[in-house]
Amino acid sequence: MVSEPLRELDHLDAQARRGIPLAPPDVRPMLAWVLPPLIALLLLAVAVEIWVRVADVSIWVMPRPTTVIENFFSDFGLYFSEGLKTLGVSLGGLAIGTAAATLLAAGVAHSNILERAVLPIAIMVKVTPVVALIPLFIIWLGHGWNPKIAIAALITYFPVLINAIAGFRDIDPRMHDFFRSVDASTWEIFRHLRLPAAIPYLFASLKISVTLSLIGAVVAEFFLSGHGGLGAVIWIEQNNLRLEKVFAAVLMLTLIGVTLSTAVVLAERLFSWRLDQPVAAA
Amino acid sequence: MPPGTNAVTTSTSQSNPSAPLVIKHPIEPDAEPAVRLREARLTYQTKEGNPLEAVSPTTLTIRAGEFTALVGPSGCGKTSLLRMIGGLIPVSGGDVQVFGETPKDAQRHKRLGLVFQEPALLAWRSVEDNVRLGLQLNPRETHSSTDVHELIDIVGLTAFRRYRPAELSGGMQQRVALARALAIDPPLLLLDEPFAALDEITREQMRYEVQRLWGISHDPTDPPRSAIFVTHSVPEAVAVADRVLVMSPRPGRIIADIPITAPRPRQPEHEHSDRFVNDTAIVRAALRSPTTPAVPLDAA
Repeated sequence: MVSEPLRELDHLDAQARRGIPLAPPDVRPMLAWVLPPLIALLLLAVAVEIWVRVADVSIWVMPRPTTVIENFFSDFGLYFSEGLKTLGVSLGGLAIGTAAATLLAAGVAHSNILERAVLPIAIMVKVTPVVALIPLFIIWLGHGWNPKIAIAALITYFPVLINAIAGFRDIDPRMHDFFRSVDASTWEIFRHLRLPAAIPYLFASLKISVTLSLIGAVVAEFFLSGHGGLGAVIWIEQNNLRLEKVFAAVLMLTLIGVTLSTAVVLAERLFSWRLDQPVAAA
Repeated sequence: MPPGTNAVTTSTSQSNPSAPLVIKHPIEPDAEPAVRLREARLTYQTKEGNPLEAVSPTTLTIRAGEFTALVGPSGCGKTSLLRMIGGLIPVSGGDVQVFGETPKDAQRHKRLGLVFQEPALLAWRSVEDNVRLGLQLNPRETHSSTDVHELIDIVGLTAFRRYRPAELSGGMQQRVALARALAIDPPLLLLDEPFAALDEITREQMRYEVQRLWGISHDPTDPPRSAIFVTHSVPEAVAVADRVLVMSPRPGRIIADIPITAPRPRQPEHEHSDRFVNDTAIVRAALRSPTTPAVPLDAA
């Protein structure tokens, strides 16, 4: 059995590493992060409002922020329902792009030949302006949701691909030796070692891709404005010179973007928290 | 219970009465050797394309049940030799056999228990799940009698079995790594400087822990476990080993084979004995004069 002094040391060590128990979350740091940008945004809106009123700026050039807010709430149902369409395209593209990139990365991480074959093509697609491919996607996939989701997927895959390859390869070589020493299969090494090691990398890429997917969705909706979405609203109302509606749609897009980004950050924190915390109190 | 074995008393041993742990220490000279190297060598290719000999042709036999320490200066090829035996790097020439089969087959049959300089645990798994890892991998070769809770108890971490590695000290993490290696009940332990990252006090405690754990087995019919222990510390090697192999600077070759005949089980007090001091002096002398074997080599 382990000697008593060693056992005591074990408890002291573990105690020190666990640190003091977690206190209830303090809301002050959160407010310190949220309040300054909110105040700055409010001041900017006030400044624009004053400028538009004093300089008598035409409504076709710049609507008053108060008019935008008024329109946002009066037509909230429209922006919300169109926002849901954009969100659907964005999430659909993100899911497909992430899944495809992760699968491809898993293959590339295991094969240098696949890496040499696939990565140049992936980079070539990445440097090609996606907008240029939209007409082709409309021909191939029709006028519905499919080309929009395809564009959102295409724009999101690259950060996930590069990060996932790095994550799948960033494994402890000694850990890999241990797996080999018991003749673990490639699948077992992937399932128990490579995939968990890649999770932080995947979250880092999701933070980038989630906003890219929204950009892809909106750009695709510009081209396919007959099928709704906030991109279509912006496109149509810009042609009608109803800029308060354009700004209200942009405001809704901003809210969706902030919500998506926050969701990814929270999911990452939740995951990290689960890793940092003991599985259960000993 | 076969001769030379003793039941281990543990607080949880009653939980698995069908497979009591036993301690076996005797070296079995007539059994199949644990490791046999015949002119095994390792040559690396430098970036310029030139061959770089890391391990000179080596012929060596390690008997079943033998605890062998491998000492030598940094970069002499100790770890390379260990990795050759473990099948983690292919030999450039010659032959390596582990219990009469190739290292790859030994891996396939889960005959190797690896412990590294750093614990190399999965950060996202608890102590218990880390110890269980070897059993989950390649499950066709897993011994059903292994009781993970009992092993964790033996390494003294029952109270921490649901902790994650980051919550444990270096010594505790290394005990988890030892338990993980032992969980598959391997007949050969490969220990690559397992205490190098630990403080001196923990190191001294761990060398006796390793001796205790080395002899523990789930299956009394198994041959006694062998161990190859790479270390920089001469006292550590003399304290734990039945035999100390001294390697020369690169290209590494075994230049001395020094038997350590102190009786087992060894206690920390053994390190104050004349025999220990004498054995340590012999190993140090061999290290200081790497070109002149201190003890004639057995060409076995």
